[in-house]
This record gives sequence, structure tokens and C-alpha cells, in this order.
Amino acid sequence: MKKNVIGLNLKYLDYAVCGVFLMAISVFLPYAALSDGRKNLISVMIDLIRSANGHALNLMVYLTVAASFVSFVFGVISFNAASVRVVKAWQAVQAFATAFWTFLLFASKTILESAGIAGEFMNKQLSFGFWIALIVSYTSLVLIMRMTKTNVGYIILTILGVIWMFPILWILLTALRAEQGYYVGYFIPKKLTLQNFANLFSNNSVIPFKKWWLNTFIVATASCVINTLIILATSFTLSRTRFAGRKAFMNVLMIIGLFPGFMSLIAVYNILKGLGLNQSLLALIVVGAAGAAMGYHVTKGFFDTIPKAIDEAAIIDGATRLQIFSHITLPLSKPIIVYTVLGSFLASWSDYIFPSMLFGDKQSSYTVAVGLYWLTDFRRIDKYYTQFAAGAVIVAVPIVILFIWLQRYYVEGLSGSVKG
Amino acid sequence: MKEYKNRNLITIFTKGDIFSKISYIVCGASNMRHGQIIKGLLFLCLEISYIFFMITKGAGMLQALTTLGDNLQGMQFNEEIGIYEMHAGDNSMLILLYGVVALVISLSFIAVWYFSIVSGEAARKRAAEGKKNRGFIEDVKSLANENVRYLLLAIPVIGLLVFTVMPLIYMILMAFTNYDQEHQPPGNLFDWVGIKNFITLLSTGDRLSSTFWPVFGWTLIWCIFATFTCYFGGIILAMIINSKGIRFKKVWRTIFIFTMAIPSFISLRVVATMLGEKGIFNVLLQKWGFTQTALPFLSNANWARVSVILVNVWIGVPVTMLMVSGILMNIPGELYESAKIDGAGPITIFRKITFPYMWFVTTPYLISNLISNFNNFNTIYFLTGGEPHTLDYYKGAGQTDLLVTWLYKLTKDSNDYNLAATIGIIIFVISAIFTLVTFDGSGSLKNEEGFQ
Repeated sequence: MKKNVIGLNLKYLDYAVCGVFLMAISVFLPYAALSDGRKNLISVMIDLIRSANGHALNLMVYLTVAASFVSFVFGVISFNAASVRVVKAWQAVQAFATAFWTFLLFASKTILESAGIAGEFMNKQLSFGFWIALIVSYTSLVLIMRMTKTNVGYIILTILGVIWMFPILWILLTALRAEQGYYVGYFIPKKLTLQNFANLFSNNSVIPFKKWWLNTFIVATASCVINTLIILATSFTLSRTRFAGRKAFMNVLMIIGLFPGFMSLIAVYNILKGLGLNQSLLALIVVGAAGAAMGYHVTKGFFDTIPKAIDEAAIIDGATRLQIFSHITLPLSKPIIVYTVLGSFLASWSDYIFPSMLFGDKQSSYTVAVGLYWLTDFRRIDKYYTQFAAGAVIVAVPIVILFIWLQRYYVEGLSGSVKG
Repeated sequence: MKEYKNRNLITIFTKGDIFSKISYIVCGASNMRHGQIIKGLLFLCLEISYIFFMITKGAGMLQALTTLGDNLQGMQFNEEIGIYEMHAGDNSMLILLYGVVALVISLSFIAVWYFSIVSGEAARKRAAEGKKNRGFIEDVKSLANENVRYLLLAIPVIGLLVFTVMPLIYMILMAFTNYDQEHQPPGNLFDWVGIKNFITLLSTGDRLSSTFWPVFGWTLIWCIFATFTCYFGGIILAMIINSKGIRFKKVWRTIFIFTMAIPSFISLRVVATMLGEKGIFNVLLQKWGFTQTALPFLSNANWARVSVILVNVWIGVPVTMLMVSGILMNIPGELYESAKIDGAGPITIFRKITFPYMWFVTTPYLISNLISNFNNFNTIYFLTGGEPHTLDYYKGAGQTDLLVTWLYKLTKDSNDYNLAATIGIIIFVISAIFTLVTFDGSGSLKNEEGFQ
């Protein structure tokens, strides 16, 4: 029976040591099936050192081999004398080893081909030695984490985080890419530049992006103020006052809401034409405000949670309903106001269907949503892809900052409304 | 005089005094008789202007609704000058639109008329009881107090009437016409066709119905997969982030929230370009040695359908995650403690504690999510635009098209407004049935005042 160490769960030690032993062994097992037979990672490494034209990624192979052995050494040490510190260090080394083996899955082709070891390399040529190492490295990492009582969720979160950030990273890099064009055969740009942003805002640009951005900003700001007021007023009336027809009114709103919204856009367009508002930004604001009341649900749900006794006390003190609204309900509802403001700003900032139908070919009135979509048309995408990316970054950054900053209110606003 | 109960249109007429009866024809008479002169005059003015509108225009507009126009645009011989002249025909679309406007105005007037009668009767009753009726200024003041609803709801209601209800009626009526490509005003007239559109769309055999059913089927599959992948994905992600021993919870949450914060038209367009034949995904997969030829992420029907669902996971999981995070923290910790003492593993705990609790709280959210995914225009339109196309479908519709995106294409590209309207009504019916069935069992709508 092994001795116990405080802070470690030694139940998993034996398995973990076996794991890293297997991983170290698989360095000597066939790594890939190449033209001159199966080779293990060691002989590939020797070939790489010998080959004249070294690739930066070759380092990956060396590191993989090194990390696997170091991890094995740590395994042996902790098998004999386990202490929290040693196992923690072992965990770090194993994490690196796991990461390197994973990288090899993606980098093998480049490494082998640029060193001239393989002609046309495909991942299905990777041999069982590699696959064993990959699986075992993850298993050992999990076992070691179990030992140090570290949450295994970190592995999942890291992998998911990489997947989630990948497209975002790509658009950022594309925005900064000096080489133009949609199709490039690599992920990281060869040359970075800010020219794409400058081009968007230069006066002789074909794309009136400055105008688009300004249009969107005007519409979004105006809609955000007006819509928020309308939503708050509607929700207050429906939540804090009782009158005949209140339920009926809510039911009518719900029924209207079940129709797909843009089904009637063509009629809205004709009505706007009749009012002389077609193809103008004002139309966007007016139509947005007209439909705003439909989004009362969340806000009303929040108002419902404010105790009625407060209102009653205020009425006894002689306050009018309007004063209750402005002096009591609103100050108590900061999270939901922020939520509503953010929601309406975002909605009009990224609305596509209605502006695209409203403005048709009139490019100078486009909002960024319509404009950027227009840029990704297959006829233009190759010429403007980097500028599209730059535009996307410019549009997204303010919103992301706003969103992350106000995240707390967003959650509070939502959870105020969610009830069992 | 003894006052009666159950005030309604009939009792007011039979039990009220002579002015109550006059109010049925001359709006506001009763108000004026009982001291509310300005209010009564306002009602009268509204009535007079409505009658004026009906005589000059409204009646004609309503009457034209029955035929939707008879005179086709065309050449006509003008005998005075002796040449053929272009003569403008009736514009069915405008006739329909004006008819709807007149209809809505009439309905609004009926509401005013009813309101004036009730208000007049209330004034009579107060006078009969010996109380003084409120003057006009007091009425205005009451807008800030017990009548605050008129003040606060006026703008939303007018907005909804003009830009939502009216267009909706217009579109609903359109479903019963033949306003398609071949009947485009002003060059052509369209006419009422009854429920013919529904029959062609739903009954088997026709090219349209053999497009409708597959599109509908895919819409259902999409709706279920898109909702539940995001729902469970979000719950699992939130549970991992919130589990004990994960540090920097806020940082992790922020990483995932990025996709939620970026406007969806941007992130979806970006991902769409990444998934293209020469997009970065294909480039990298080839470079990494996973495949030799480009994968048809968006160009093969089945691939495209899977891609769309996966990309939706990327967009939708953070939303659920953020929402569920708050709920997870509300689950009483003792439940977990005692479950652990009893020897329950993580899966049992999830099945017996976390999930039932979550399910109970989030059912309304899930229901509304199902409906919004049923109508999820953005994801499909920005990602694939409904493509890939197939020759089996009615022109324009693609194999990843949902009913809503098809509806949009029918309006925007092929101008088959009648079909678009018909699909819109079908979508409405489906959503309405679903909402009625599911919300009936959920308590959240009934317990409106549970927290007050």
C-alpha cells in the first residue's frame, strides 16, 4: 500500500505512469508509412536534422520527442516519491506533450514534405504509433489531472475555445492582410498592414463605407432611443396597470408575432411610398419604432417581479401613475433598461432584410449590414475580401466591447424574466 | 331611476335615456348633454370626418375590393385626335391596398363609436347619481394617472396598426388572389381566386407542392436539431464553466460570448466565405493532409445541411450558455452535496438533479426557441442563401431553404406574392398550433403575478 500525499489522489498514479510509459514507447513505434517503409519518430527526427532545408516546424518534432521523454522521467520520479510539486510539474509537461502530439496531426504533412522525406503525404499514412501516442497522451493528461484534483474541463474548454475563436481570428488576420484576394493558401498573412482600413475610409474608394457606417449609426442610435422608450412604456402599462382588454391586447400582440415579420414588407414598402418615405433612413426608424411594442415580453417579465406594494405605497402618497413609472419603476430596472437598449441597438445595427428591400440599388443609403453582404457577392468577393474583413472588424468591435462591458446586465435582465 | 348592471351595447340602448339612444347615431350627444362638451364635440368631429371620408373616397375603395379592378391597361382609340392612346388601367395592387386602408379606418371608427357610447353612458350615470362629471382639463390630467394607458399605449398602437396590422391584413388577403409573376400590376390585373393557392401548394402532384413538402420537412428537421443541439450544448458548456475548480470563469465565458456579440450577419457571412470551395477551411484541410480535394461544405445538399446545423451550434451555444449560467447558480447546493454522499456519479447527478431543474425553468425559452428556429431566416440566408439549387424544386428554392427563406425569395426574386402570402399563413398556423399546445401546459404565462 502506497503512502498518501495530501492534495494528491494517488489512485490514478499507476495508470498515469503506464500511460506516459506507453507514450514514450510509441516514439519508437512506426510513426508514418513513407515511401521507404514505416518509420518511427526518432528516425524521422534524424532525417530532419540531416536534411539541408530545415523548416521552422521541424522544431515541433523535436519538442514532441523531448516532451514525451521528460514526461516519462517525471512519471518515474513521482512513482518513487510523489509530491504535489513534482506532479504539478509533470502535469504541465504532459500538457505540453499532449499539445505537441496534437499539433503533429496538423503539421506532419508540411514537415515531411518540406524536408523531402515524403512526396505527397496524407494523414491516413500516419501509422499506429502516432495514433497510440495521441490517444495515450490525452488519457495520461486526464489521469494526472485527476491526481492533482484539477478540473478536466480545462481540456474541453481549451479545445472548444480554439474552435470558437478560429473564425474570429481569421477575420482579424484577413483584415490586416496585405495580400489581397479571397483565395490564399495559408492562415497567417505574409505581410500585415492597416491599408485595408484606410482604403475603406478613403474618399476615392468605390465603396461608400463611411456613408454606410454613418447611416447605420444614425438609424441604430435613433431606433435604440425610440424603441427603448416604446418598449418600456408598453411593458409598464401591461405589467403595472390593470384595465379591461389588457389580456386581449397581449393576445393580439402574440398572434401578430406569430406571422413571419417580413411577409408583409412589400405592403409596408407601399405604405411608405404613399407617405413619401421610401428609400430614406427615416423609414427604417419609423418602421422599427412601429413594431417595437411587440418585444415587450422580457421587459414586462422583469417589471412583474417588482413588488406591487411599492406602487401602492406611492399611490397612497399621492403619486400619479406616470410618476410611479418615471420615479419608481425605471430606477429599479437598470439591468432591464440596459438589456433593452442593447437589444434594440443590436437589432437595428444588424437588420438586413428590411433595409435591403427598402433601398434596392441605392448604395448611398445602405446600412453596413446590406453593404457588407453586397461586398461578399461572388462577383466582388475576390476584389474586396480583405476590405470586407476590415469592415466587419470595424462594425463588430464597438458592439463586442459594449456587449462584454454590459454582459452582467444582460444576464440579470434575462434571469429576471425567466421564471418557473 | 334604478341603475342596471351588465353595461353593453344592447342594455345601454334599452335602459339608457333618450340621449343615450341619440348617441348611437350622433356620437357624443350624451357626453354633451351631461356636461362634457369638448369630449362630446371631439367624438362628433371624428364621426363627421369619418362620414366625409367614406362619402368622398372610402366607399369607392371598399367597393373596388370586390373586383380588384376591371380595366386592363392598354391602347384605346381616341376619336377626337384620331390616334391610339395609352390609357392607364386599374392597378389591382393599389386597389387592394386602399381597400385595406379603408377597412382599417372603418374598424378604428367602430372602436371610437363604441367607446363614445360607453363614455356617454358613464357620464349619464354619474349625472344621475348626482356627481359632477369631469371636465375636459381633468380628463387630460387623468392621462397621467388612472388613464395612463391611453397616453403610453397610443403611439405603439398607432404604429402597430399602420405598419403591422394593416400590412398583415393586406398580405393575408393577397393569399387569396393570383398576384404572381404573370399578374403584375400595373400592366396586368389580378383577381380573387379563393383558396386555390393553398390547394396547389399543399396537394400532391404539382411542382409547387413537390417543392413545399421537402422544404417543410427540412424546416422541421432543422428546427429540432438546431434547437436541441444548442440547448444541450449550452447547458453542458455552462456546466463545465461553472463547475468547481475552473478558474478565470469570466475569461472563458468571454471567449464564447464573442460569437454572440458579433452581429450575426457578419459572423455568418465570414463563416460562409470560410466554408467555400476555396475558403480557408478547405485550404487548411488540404494543407494539413486530411483531404486531397475540396470538401463540398456548402455545395452538396447533405453536407450543406450538416454544416448549417454545426455553424448554428457555433452561434447558438453561447446564447444558451449565458442564459443557463444564471439558472445553474440558483440550483440549491445541498441537493448536490447529498447526492454525492449517496454515491451518485456526475451523469446521475445531471440526469436526476440538474436536468430536471433546468428543464422546468427553461421550457418557455425552449418553446420560443423552437418557433424562432422554425423561422430562422438569418442563419440560412447568410450562410447558404438556401443553396444548393436543385432542378426538382420550383425555381428559386434550394435544398437548405426553410419556409421563411423560400417565402423571402418568392417575394424578392420571383414576385410570386400570392405564394409567399400563402406560405406565411401556413407558417402562422403551424406556429399558432404549436404555441397553443405547448404553452397550455406551461405555467409561466398563467403565473403572471406570482412575483408581485
